Amino acid sequence: MIQDTSTPGAASPAAPGGARRGRRRKEYVAGGRPLWLLSPTLALLVLVIGVPFLIGTYISFFELDQYNLRNWVTAPFVGLKNYADSLNAALLLHSIWVSLAFAVLTTAFSAPIGFLAALAVNTRFRGRGLVRSLFLVPYVLPSFVTATVWRFILRPDGVFNKVLGLHNMQWLIGTNSFWALVLVDIWAAWPFVYMMTLAGLQAIPDELYEAADVDGVTWVKKIVYMVVPQIRHQLLLGLLLSTLNHFNNFTLPFVLFGTPAPNDVLTLQVNIYQTSFQYFRFGLGSAMSVASLILTLIPAFIYLKASRLTAAPGEE
Amino acid sequence: MSAISAPAPASRRRKRIVREPQRLLPRWLQVVVITLLMLMLLPVVYMLIISVSPDLDAASAKLWPSQFMWSNYLKVFTTVDLGRGLMNSFIASFSAALIATIFGLGAAYVLTRFRFRGRAPLLSSLVGLQAVPATMIILPLFVVFSSVGSALGVQIIGSRPALIVTYLTFAIPFSTWLLVTNMRQIPTTYEEAAMIDGVTRFGALRRIIFPLMVPGMVVAMVFALLVGWNDVLFASVLTNPDTQTAAIQLQVFANSTDGGVLPLYGQLMAASLISAAPVVVLYMIFQRQLVGGLTAGGDKG
Repeated sequence: MIQDTSTPGAASPAAPGGARRGRRRKEYVAGGRPLWLLSPTLALLVLVIGVPFLIGTYISFFELDQYNLRNWVTAPFVGLKNYADSLNAALLLHSIWVSLAFAVLTTAFSAPIGFLAALAVNTRFRGRGLVRSLFLVPYVLPSFVTATVWRFILRPDGVFNKVLGLHNMQWLIGTNSFWALVLVDIWAAWPFVYMMTLAGLQAIPDELYEAADVDGVTWVKKIVYMVVPQIRHQLLLGLLLSTLNHFNNFTLPFVLFGTPAPNDVLTLQVNIYQTSFQYFRFGLGSAMSVASLILTLIPAFIYLKASRLTAAPGEE
Repeated sequence: MSAISAPAPASRRRKRIVREPQRLLPRWLQVVVITLLMLMLLPVVYMLIISVSPDLDAASAKLWPSQFMWSNYLKVFTTVDLGRGLMNSFIASFSAALIATIFGLGAAYVLTRFRFRGRAPLLSSLVGLQAVPATMIILPLFVVFSSVGSALGVQIIGSRPALIVTYLTFAIPFSTWLLVTNMRQIPTTYEEAAMIDGVTRFGALRRIIFPLMVPGMVVAMVFALLVGWNDVLFASVLTNPDTQTAAIQLQVFANSTDGGVLPLYGQLMAASLISAAPVVVLYMIFQRQLVGGLTAGGDKG
């Protein structure tokens, strides 16, 4: 805690404990440095993610289909053809647009809901524990269950149309399908922002609220000028993670609409799935995966750089 | 606002401050928000109702069943082999969770206690890997599994180990990261004190770190288990009818009711509820820890 390096002569004999924390630790640590404990994880990471990743990138340059799948090493090299095909024939840009619009819209709608929900349960009241648990239910339901239920609710003669008085409106095909997807995902995902906000709110000390109350600040100002700046970090993380999660969401559109998916909800992940496992164009699917990986890694990388999430408290 | 009316509201306000400084929304808005959000649970209530409704009521979108069909919950186990599906889901996701947590514990220990070259990039990649789209992993794994399988003459695709291996792709980065954030909170001085008393590094690991990490390990396991249980993508590519998970059975079942081939809506909703129940129960039990874990990246401020 105290800088023992500034007064080396005086400090080391007087406080051997302090000296050990500083220099010597790097050279000698009692009990050794069992770095090999890391190796099983490292090996598995390389094996199940690293190697497949390299193979995936490799086959994106080859014409690989169900006929030469068994010995994929013999697949003919086609250079960048798969990448060109994914732009032209495979609707890559269309899918990116659908996924992006979907991710951004869903996040934009679900964030205020989650934020307000967290603010609403920040005071103690009877039944708060129950309310907090119930809020999580849409989020904790498995996606495949959420999709199955909504698929039933959104049928043309289903209860959704009946309650809203719409007659035989189609939600699961055509242009409406995009909005159905957004609606269902908002329903399922707002508790995520709620949880992030709640975690942030818990770190705000009571004194801050009290100071604001003594000053007679209105509740709107209190939220805008005090709460939001305090939980800025959690909010941003929540928004980024939720955008990424929506962008990569496969289960919800897949189960909600089945395959082949309507064009309006042909998200990137569903498109890659169909190309690879229903049309069996593995090379093309790989090229699209590589493109989608680059797209998702850009924001993740920027975020990592900006937040230093991986540094332990006290490190640089 | 004006000088004359000031004292009365001020005193009332002060009384409120003492009781609830954390109130952020006025009471009316609080009530409106909570009520509206509770209404959002209606689809879940509807699911419960349909699960005990006769199929004709369900098909005509009736809001209340003409009679209660509790038998739906039994029949569904013979309509689809749901028992087997639940078992398959459990075996695959539990195995992956267990492996990931055990391996992750060692890795987390090294990553939090020692400085070495490559440590920072490794930590970053644990977070970054969670952003990798699952399709990027499954495609090459599928290609490798099928070619290796045909070379060795064994059916790898459709086997349980193949599914477990793919589940490890997300379980390992996630569990390790969660354990790292947990382990950081255990002061190094605990082990140092023990080692000064003559305990070896592994003695300290076993007797001090391990007991303190049990809650974190449970959370990591539960989390990995839930993600595996919820998976549709990997299981839809890598399972056959024998190893099918509950998620896939439900999806197939939903497809067949949709086309009107098998309009057993009551049983479909019963199956949905049955396969969701373990997840919801686990979440409710570990609510505090899981919420903490989910937001672990954000609590650094």
